[in-house]
Amino acid sequence: MVYVELQVTTNFSFLRGASHPDELVERAAALGCRAVAVTDRNSFAGIVRAHVAAEKHGIRLIPGCRLDLMDGPSLLAYPTNREAYGRLSRLLTKGNRRAEKGQCRLFKADVFEQREGMYFIAVPPDNLTAAFELEPDFVRHMTTYREALGSTFCLGAVRTYTGDDAKKLFRIHQLCTALDMPMVALNDVHYHVPERRELQDVLTCIREKCTIQTAGYRLHPNAERYLKPPDEMERLFRQYPEAIRNAAAIADACRFSLKELQYVYPEELVPQGRTPQEELTRLTWEGAGRRYPQGIPDNVRESITMELAFIAKKNYASYFLTVHDYVRFARSRGILCQGRGSAANSTVCYCLEITSVNPAEIRLLFARFMSDARDEPPDIDVDFEHERREEVIQYIYEKYTRDRAAIVATVTHVHARGAARDVGKAMGLSLDAVGRLAGTVSSHWDNYIDEQLLAEQGFNPRDPHLRKVLQLIDQYSGFPRQLGQHTGGFVITQGRLDELCPIINARMEDRTNLEWNKDDLEALGFLKVDVLGLGMLTCIRKAFDLAKQHYGRDLTLANVPQKESEVYEMICRADTLGVFQIESRAQMSMLPRLKPRDFYDLVIEVAIVRPGPIQGDMVHPYLRRRNNEEPVDYPSEEIREILEKTLGVPLFQEQAMEIAIVAAEFTAAQADELRRSMATFKAKGQVSAFHEKMVTGMVKKGYTEEFANRVFKQLEGFGSYGFPESHAASFALLVYISSWLKCFYPDIFAASLLNSQPMGFYQPAQIIIDARKHGIAVRPVDVNHSGWDHTLEGEFGVEHHALRLGFRQVKGLSEEDSERLVNGRGDGYTALPALVDAGVSLAAMERLADADAFRSMGFDRRQALWMVSALKDRPIALFAGQPSECTKEGQIALPLMTAGEHVVQDYASTGLSVKAHPVSFLREKLDLLRVTPTGRLSAMKDGMFVKVCGMITVRQRPGTAKGVLFVTIEDETGFANLVVWGLMFEKYRREILQSRLLLVTGKLQIEGEVIHVIVNHCTNLNGWLRGLATPEGVDAAGVFHKGRNFQ
Amino acid sequence: MEKRFASIWFRYLTTDRHAVRRPDLRAVPFALAAPVHGRMVITEANAVAETQGVARGMVVADAMAFLPVLEVADERPGLAARLLHVLGLWCIRYTPIVAVQPPDGLILDISGCAHLWGGERRYLKDIVGRLRSRGFHVRMAIAGTIGAAWAVARFGRETPIVRSGEEANTLMALPPAALRLEPEVTAKLHKLGLRTIDSFMHMPPSVLRRRFGEDLPRRLRQALGREEEPIVPLRPIPPYVERLPCLEPIRTAAGVEIAIQRLLESLCKRLAGEGKGLRAASLMGHRIDGKVVQVGITTSRATASIPHLIKLFALKVPQIEPALGIELFVLEASGVEDADPVQEALWSSTAGLEDPALPELIDRLKGRAGIRAIYRYLPDEHHWPERSFREASSIVELPSTGWKSDRPRPTRLLPQPESIEVTAPIPDYPPMLFRYRGTAHPIKRADGPERIEREWWMDPGEHRDYYCVEDDQGRRYWLFRAGHYDDDSSRQWFLHGFFA
Repeated sequence: MVYVELQVTTNFSFLRGASHPDELVERAAALGCRAVAVTDRNSFAGIVRAHVAAEKHGIRLIPGCRLDLMDGPSLLAYPTNREAYGRLSRLLTKGNRRAEKGQCRLFKADVFEQREGMYFIAVPPDNLTAAFELEPDFVRHMTTYREALGSTFCLGAVRTYTGDDAKKLFRIHQLCTALDMPMVALNDVHYHVPERRELQDVLTCIREKCTIQTAGYRLHPNAERYLKPPDEMERLFRQYPEAIRNAAAIADACRFSLKELQYVYPEELVPQGRTPQEELTRLTWEGAGRRYPQGIPDNVRESITMELAFIAKKNYASYFLTVHDYVRFARSRGILCQGRGSAANSTVCYCLEITSVNPAEIRLLFARFMSDARDEPPDIDVDFEHERREEVIQYIYEKYTRDRAAIVATVTHVHARGAARDVGKAMGLSLDAVGRLAGTVSSHWDNYIDEQLLAEQGFNPRDPHLRKVLQLIDQYSGFPRQLGQHTGGFVITQGRLDELCPIINARMEDRTNLEWNKDDLEALGFLKVDVLGLGMLTCIRKAFDLAKQHYGRDLTLANVPQKESEVYEMICRADTLGVFQIESRAQMSMLPRLKPRDFYDLVIEVAIVRPGPIQGDMVHPYLRRRNNEEPVDYPSEEIREILEKTLGVPLFQEQAMEIAIVAAEFTAAQADELRRSMATFKAKGQVSAFHEKMVTGMVKKGYTEEFANRVFKQLEGFGSYGFPESHAASFALLVYISSWLKCFYPDIFAASLLNSQPMGFYQPAQIIIDARKHGIAVRPVDVNHSGWDHTLEGEFGVEHHALRLGFRQVKGLSEEDSERLVNGRGDGYTALPALVDAGVSLAAMERLADADAFRSMGFDRRQALWMVSALKDRPIALFAGQPSECTKEGQIALPLMTAGEHVVQDYASTGLSVKAHPVSFLREKLDLLRVTPTGRLSAMKDGMFVKVCGMITVRQRPGTAKGVLFVTIEDETGFANLVVWGLMFEKYRREILQSRLLLVTGKLQIEGEVIHVIVNHCTNLNGWLRGLATPEGVDAAGVFHKGRNFQ
Repeated sequence: MEKRFASIWFRYLTTDRHAVRRPDLRAVPFALAAPVHGRMVITEANAVAETQGVARGMVVADAMAFLPVLEVADERPGLAARLLHVLGLWCIRYTPIVAVQPPDGLILDISGCAHLWGGERRYLKDIVGRLRSRGFHVRMAIAGTIGAAWAVARFGRETPIVRSGEEANTLMALPPAALRLEPEVTAKLHKLGLRTIDSFMHMPPSVLRRRFGEDLPRRLRQALGREEEPIVPLRPIPPYVERLPCLEPIRTAAGVEIAIQRLLESLCKRLAGEGKGLRAASLMGHRIDGKVVQVGITTSRATASIPHLIKLFALKVPQIEPALGIELFVLEASGVEDADPVQEALWSSTAGLEDPALPELIDRLKGRAGIRAIYRYLPDEHHWPERSFREASSIVELPSTGWKSDRPRPTRLLPQPESIEVTAPIPDYPPMLFRYRGTAHPIKRADGPERIEREWWMDPGEHRDYYCVEDDQGRRYWLFRAGHYDDDSSRQWFLHGFFA
């Protein structure tokens, strides 16, 4: 009989447990336990991790939980079989659904109802009464429990060195004898080793919002709540050996394992009398017929057969059917969607219209991503228009009901910076010191604390108190902090979902989610489907709508003409503002070098400008090879097979992992574990172990160490920002379609982009400037012409319509006001009171006046505002129609506005101006300073020193380019790309971060069509912008966008 | 008499205050911040920070991004109001009518005051000079209306002194914000291009009222002196000081005692009338040789009992050295607290801490034996026995937490645990015998161990295992062993207390 610990609190009892579930399980295994239980407070959130760890270390996990009741002492509950587990899960769900997020309200009666098949242990009280008796209340509760729960009810006993342990055990034993129930030894474990007590104390302080100095009795007096060796427990309970025996007996009786949880697909997708595989086969061939109306080509036929066979073997048919079902729903509602992920680029998915990427075109091999060896469930993420994704979500809830469908949880982990803040506060550091300390933790994926930085921030790195704080921060970071809601992962089951996993209320109304995250579900083999939102799809759908309305073209994701060379030429010119993915500064500067010519080039383009390949220094070798500046060679034949598509340079996540398998002899599972260990930043030690294994493995097989290191480095990059080929391919399609729209219908593209804001890198002002550069007339917001959305004006079918700005661009104007205004418009407004009659509020009219939207009525913004603000006194009801008092007012002359003032006001009210660019008013002054307009930079010579001036639109400081800052400025002639090196940035930090209008001097660097200005001097010209309005005015510079900052 | 007002504007009120405490902040960018929706937002930036672009309303993280050297401290809520109040009281030396104008200004009704300083210009210079020397950035203006003084103090470019009747001319060139308007009104005026007061000053009030509400015409009238504006003056709080000038210099102890009696009578009468009591007082005797002798007393609870205070002072009288004689006695109550009025002698069974006789006794004992001779202890929330109590600050202080009663604690705890020799089975069974000061105590009964860990954030070291033991005489002791028996090394045992 070896003792088994049955009361273990992990850190999924947030701010209580001080060890990860896997640490506890590992420790239990090391102590020679054959089993260990996990009992978090009203939660199963940590048991899957514990289960996985238990499998790994060869011990048995007893899933359980601690039920904290509203009307009685807490109970530990352990299911003995699958049914009881389901009941316990339902019980928790019931408690969760009653309470707010993060809480659980349970009552004795709820437990009694679901008691069957479960063991219960009552948590013993901390203290005895003054007469050394158990509280009479407690005794009464025990009697009730005993009666209601029957023979599987036991009473726990702990020995935590509180001084009166002997008396307590005696009383508990007495009560057990009286009520004829077993006494069970427990140790109320909160951490796996006694050293974690310090962290547990700090957690208590964070929980109780106090400092360690004032926490007092809220802390435990000693460090006894660690996982004790069984023989020590036996010694402590030597007077009550049966308590140890009982614990072991319960452990033996509770044989339920999470392995028994069987995921069952929903069945209603398959008509009666057919198997899912048959149904999938039927749908696939039907779809293939639609996709290839001229007859299915042989190779397609072949791959369909092959894929279907594979799906049948792995029994994934239901999964494909599930995805197909809601994709079909979205299509029926006209919601655009596009699948991505390892399985999404299969021919089957193409036939089922889950994706529009023709797999034949990108030569993706299905089996490679779903190989037998990598026993991973298939992965299909479907992106929907972000504005309409909710419809799909509600469809899923409705179709499968809330009992059978729920959103997956995400476990938010404590970042190093947050840990620094929490621990610092709990350790009693001043707020200021806490802030400085958090500042020394460089970033969230990088967990180490720099001594130098500490010293700079005025800390003494050798101060023992600080060292302790740092050590605690290190331990605390990576702890789970709360359960959130995954962006769109769903689990759908045939049976009741709440019998698989407790369901909790999400913070958002009408949402419920599971307690487990995607890794947990994957570990148990549950399948999840992803319903995600993507802004670009909204934009493309709006563009398709406009194309139909104004040009009569019926476009879909699949029928946009492929291989248009004009589109690729535009892309090569980096004329890609607003285009999906390739609009960023880094992407734009890559395009002229990469010169994408076909679809697969776009796939590479999407994948290459990512931190992974950049950190792994894969970009330049690829470019050199592509431009034939370097021979394409392969270290070996097996590597050639993997890397041939990308000219011998690993660019995709799968390639790097395959190299690990092929060249370093990793097993598929190891390769996957490697990727995962890098994604979760907590497993620091593991990474270096993998590094060694990989490099030695590769060197042994004859590769150079340098190559091995390079591949590993790239894998490291992929860990945090992976981009597998299949994702890149799906994205590339959207890149192509958005480019196609921009190329052939710049008017439509600009309008739909503006109507989908906020999204992407650019501000409406830049989108407008870009549209005008492409010859689109842009017309201002007007009460007589605009709608809520931006619209197109022009004759049907005639190319390039004018873009009329919509009311959505006017700050502070509500959609309802806009609707009333449009509805009451009739033949057009000629007088201001007519708008009031239409129901437009005065506040809204003031906003419209600010936006200068009354021009068609003959008023500029100032006149309009003057009149609107007097409308308050307008005679109404009985006196309606009588002349208002303001008509009797004498004429008052308001000061006239200059063009510059108007532009400033346009920016203030709508974020853009169609009248002129603000910089154009300053051109004369700039000419005196010999400032070059950005449009003329291309005519200058490489290496010249130039002055340029413009409004800052984007500042970007990529984590990959250490210390370099990229700034884009804009003037009336175009854009200029500035490069600011680290030293210059430190020198001109204030200018760069504060300026709206920036003047720089720098060296011109022209490389083909890519023009950069290497900055060596900056001046903040905000004052000039202020001067545009009036010398005395409010800060006119403030109305301009301060530029967006990107990491 | 012609009305005249002075407006004082503390441009950087709270940051200046911080700089008074820490002069090094004067030269560096410094700002105060408070949390708004979970983000730290700057509530005031000092002059250096402002010139570098830090402004009120910025998020601290943004400001730190472009100005990493920015020093930020937490704003203390209510500090500005308290400071204004204090500064207002200070200004009472210049005029009896001073009012605060939150958030950052004072208004002084100086009608008929300035001539005492030799004219308004000197008056203004004096105030500004003194406030500046105290470390405050101030701007000040004098005018015939509150509104005009306010406007010129904040927006004036030329002279800070506006002659009565000149208000309209002075205001004309100033921006609308100088009229103390709501920001929305100012913004609207600005949008309409009405950027100085003269651009709308002469419009019909109905036109203005219709568009900008009642506030604008009213503020305009006030600033121009067409409408009275009320002022709510601060009143000084008279300090608790009593003075007793003597006709002839006092040289005898009896004389001193009489002086003390007189002073106390008038002071205590006032204290009792205001429901206050004395915690500390000092008596100063100004001697005719120009020196000052001083004695002080403290009490254990706020009191206004004359006989008790006289007794306390009587103990100090011998320390007063009258030399050639004392010509002026000043009694100052330096510590005053609210005192609960005591109902006198309807029920004479007051016992315990409420009995006034007890604190009075303690005061006298302390007066004789020294202030550190008597303590009162209160429980403190710490598991570690030596820290589980603390000294009370007064006789009536209520404990913030109860004495912990769920664990056995001895009635007498030794200030230092005393080393003992013990025979005990390992690893953690209670001892069987211990030897204390040469006497062996065989143990008959024992309970424990109670394991108490160190407070690791203060002192590293080993935990203690405490045992309650009873020897053959029936005496109970509190013993502990320092640390574990983990590696057979012998462990030290200590005696830490006696149960009754």
